[in-house]
Amino acid sequence: MNSIRFEHKITFIYLILGGMWILFSDSILNFLIDDIDYLAKIQTYKGVFYVLITTVFFYLFMKKHLNKLRNTEQELEAHRKNLQRLVDKKTKDLDAAIIKLSNTNAALNDKNEIINDQNLKLKKTLKALKDTQSQLIQIEKMASLGVLTAGISHEINNPLNYILGGLTGLENHLSDEKINDEKVDLYLNSIKTGVSRATAIVSGLNQLSRNKETYEEDCDIHEIIDNCLTILSSQLKHKIEINKQFAEQRIIVSGNVGKLHQVFLNIIINANQSIEDKGTITLSTVIMKEKVQIDIEDTGCGISKENLSKITDPFFTTKEPGQGTGLGLAIAYNIIQAHKGTISFKSALNKGTSVKIVLPVKSHKK
Amino acid sequence: MNKTKILYVDDESINLMLFEANLEKKYHVFTASDGLSGLNIINSEGDIKVVLSDMKMPVMNGLEFIQKARKVSPHICYYILTGFEISDEIQQAINIGIIRRYFKKPFNMNEISSEIETVINGFSK
Repeated sequence: MNSIRFEHKITFIYLILGGMWILFSDSILNFLIDDIDYLAKIQTYKGVFYVLITTVFFYLFMKKHLNKLRNTEQELEAHRKNLQRLVDKKTKDLDAAIIKLSNTNAALNDKNEIINDQNLKLKKTLKALKDTQSQLIQIEKMASLGVLTAGISHEINNPLNYILGGLTGLENHLSDEKINDEKVDLYLNSIKTGVSRATAIVSGLNQLSRNKETYEEDCDIHEIIDNCLTILSSQLKHKIEINKQFAEQRIIVSGNVGKLHQVFLNIIINANQSIEDKGTITLSTVIMKEKVQIDIEDTGCGISKENLSKITDPFFTTKEPGQGTGLGLAIAYNIIQAHKGTISFKSALNKGTSVKIVLPVKSHKK
Repeated sequence: MNKTKILYVDDESINLMLFEANLEKKYHVFTASDGLSGLNIINSEGDIKVVLSDMKMPVMNGLEFIQKARKVSPHICYYILTGFEISDEIQQAINIGIIRRYFKKPFNMNEISSEIETVINGFSK
């Protein structure tokens, strides 16, 4: 039925009805009306009648169809409006959701920032804790070492005093008796050398483990380095060649004698441990304006690039257990900072390491 | 001329013996093994010029002994001789003039003797 459209049907029916009207209206009228005059009259109005009838039909037909169309249109419009409303509502909902989401996002970002901040703070606290822990360990270590060495050195210094007193007595006696013997001189000199070396070691140990907290002592840099070399002499001899290139002046730094001993002792111990068989440790001091630069270079195994940045971290060590706590350089770093100085490291694997310390100088005189 | 009288206080007898043996030719050396005996000697002798004392001793330490002795005889020159490193206590005593100097053990007899000479010369002037 779809193949024959509505307008075709209407046209066809109209054509048929019109044709039938033309063909049969006369015969129907003739059949119905006998009066000729009356028939003639009706004949005259037949066209008008037709037009009237069809007009009524057209009107009814058009009205029905147009109403249908109008209704459809109205419905459509209503639908459209409804849709628009729906779309508007959904859009609004979406906008609200987006705002909500972005708010949540912002809140999340804020929280993220807070977490990051807290993370950073935690990291800092952890570092501070580690530093403090290392310092505490070191302080305790040095305190007990200090008590121990002070006690031992007092006990050793007394017998050393006997030896030195006895030696002075002997020398005076021999000179009074006018005894002049090469062999006696040799023996006496051996005793003298022995006493002075023992005295130097004991005094060096004492200097190292001094428990003073002040940073206003006069620290003779050359004396401190020499002291450290004396303390370590048993480890260094036959293995390490010590190359000293000291400035001619006596260099005085304002600081803490005991703590500066710890710095140089730790660095020289590291240098010694980095040299497996035989090697050289070069110690030099140079005055630059109001500062002294101290360089300590070894010909040891060196430090890899990735480790070089970590060597002043507390508890970082590459040494075998028992060989080092990983505190030496962390402590050295802190002590140099407390002296308002700087410490820096350069190293090449299998070539050696050099440590540069710069400290403000109190005085330097030739 | 009479020899200058000096007093050495130490709880180690060998130190006392050696000190006396080394310096008895030049000075009249008195020795005491603790602060109390030292104070007694100062009181009974009267004209002791120099007192040297060990720091760590029983009953009273060197500085306590010297402070007591100074009340009786402020004109004497006092010294501390000790096997310990210089302490804040000793440094302060030097600063405020309770003792003239501090000698570290093992000490050089000649150094002590020349210090005593300077002091005596100062007295005689």
